[in-house]
Amino acid sequence: MIKLSNFPVIIAVLALCGCASPPAKPDYTQFRSEGPRSIVVVPVINKSVDVNAPDYFLATIAHPLAERGYYVFPVNMVKSVMADDGLSDANLVHSGDPRRLGELFGSDAIMYISIERWNAKYIVLSTSVTVELTYTLKSGHTGQELWKNHQTIVYTPQGNSNGLAGLIADAVAAAITKASPNYIPLANQANAQAINLKGTGLPAGPYDGMFGKDAAAF
Amino acid sequence: MNTGVSLLVGALIVGLMGCATTNQKYDWGKYDASLYSYYKDPSKEGELSASLAAVINNSKGAKVPPGIYAEYGYLQLQQGKNQEAVASFKQEAAHWPESKVFMAQMIKVASESAPATATHGSSQ
Repeated sequence: MIKLSNFPVIIAVLALCGCASPPAKPDYTQFRSEGPRSIVVVPVINKSVDVNAPDYFLATIAHPLAERGYYVFPVNMVKSVMADDGLSDANLVHSGDPRRLGELFGSDAIMYISIERWNAKYIVLSTSVTVELTYTLKSGHTGQELWKNHQTIVYTPQGNSNGLAGLIADAVAAAITKASPNYIPLANQANAQAINLKGTGLPAGPYDGMFGKDAAAF
Repeated sequence: MNTGVSLLVGALIVGLMGCATTNQKYDWGKYDASLYSYYKDPSKEGELSASLAAVINNSKGAKVPPGIYAEYGYLQLQQGKNQEAVASFKQEAAHWPESKVFMAQMIKVASESAPATATHGSSQ
């Protein structure tokens, strides 16, 4: 989902960075043969120095997956229940057997997300904020990889920008970097690009009208 | 048209294209924001609980988003309101058949660890 309030940020991000050039068309054969209806998001691997990044990210992910038409298991409840069961170590969980998790939750698919970068670089004139994520969806039935995506969103306000676009970008820059950087708009944008883009995103889930009818796009 | 305006128009077009597939299926209320606030400050559990209740109450016949009944039930369980938690888990399972396996386990947990039902939520 893209909130109206995120619009300026999204525009600025896209205007400044452009969309990353799309990778080669992914292979959806396994995805299509399984047609997953449900997704459980397991603890997120954190390669950034921000210890809170996985929790903050978790608050952004259920929404876009559900809006794509999937049943998404309750992310906070899953996180807590897994922690209670000694499954809070994201690295261990990611290296484990997806079929065990599939069985545990009764989920068709497991979403493994890794935060590669989640940082702000303070340069003399401006701040550069980066969110980089890897998404891997694996089958809870066969353990096979169903889908993979990688997103890097960099927000770099241009110090010498002018004109209307520049003014807007500067205003966004001020909002985004004041006090502490707010990564959430960037995480939302990364999720939207990963999940919704035709050709590379997730095909529509069972609660979307396009379920099973979007073979041309994916 | 000067370059500043054309840049903005271009940016708007790109921005709108990015949003083309994001028509909302559900009314999420303040769920995202309140979960984020809760992770920032765990003392805000009450606000998260209230926002989940609001999503459920505001649905008015429309489908409550996946996971919301369960998240609400889990907070009830943590507060010792086991009976209410069971009811919420049953709602999740009834609305979303994909959740049945997980909800059945949670209903079992909530039923077995139930405190004296007449005094749920009281101090121990």
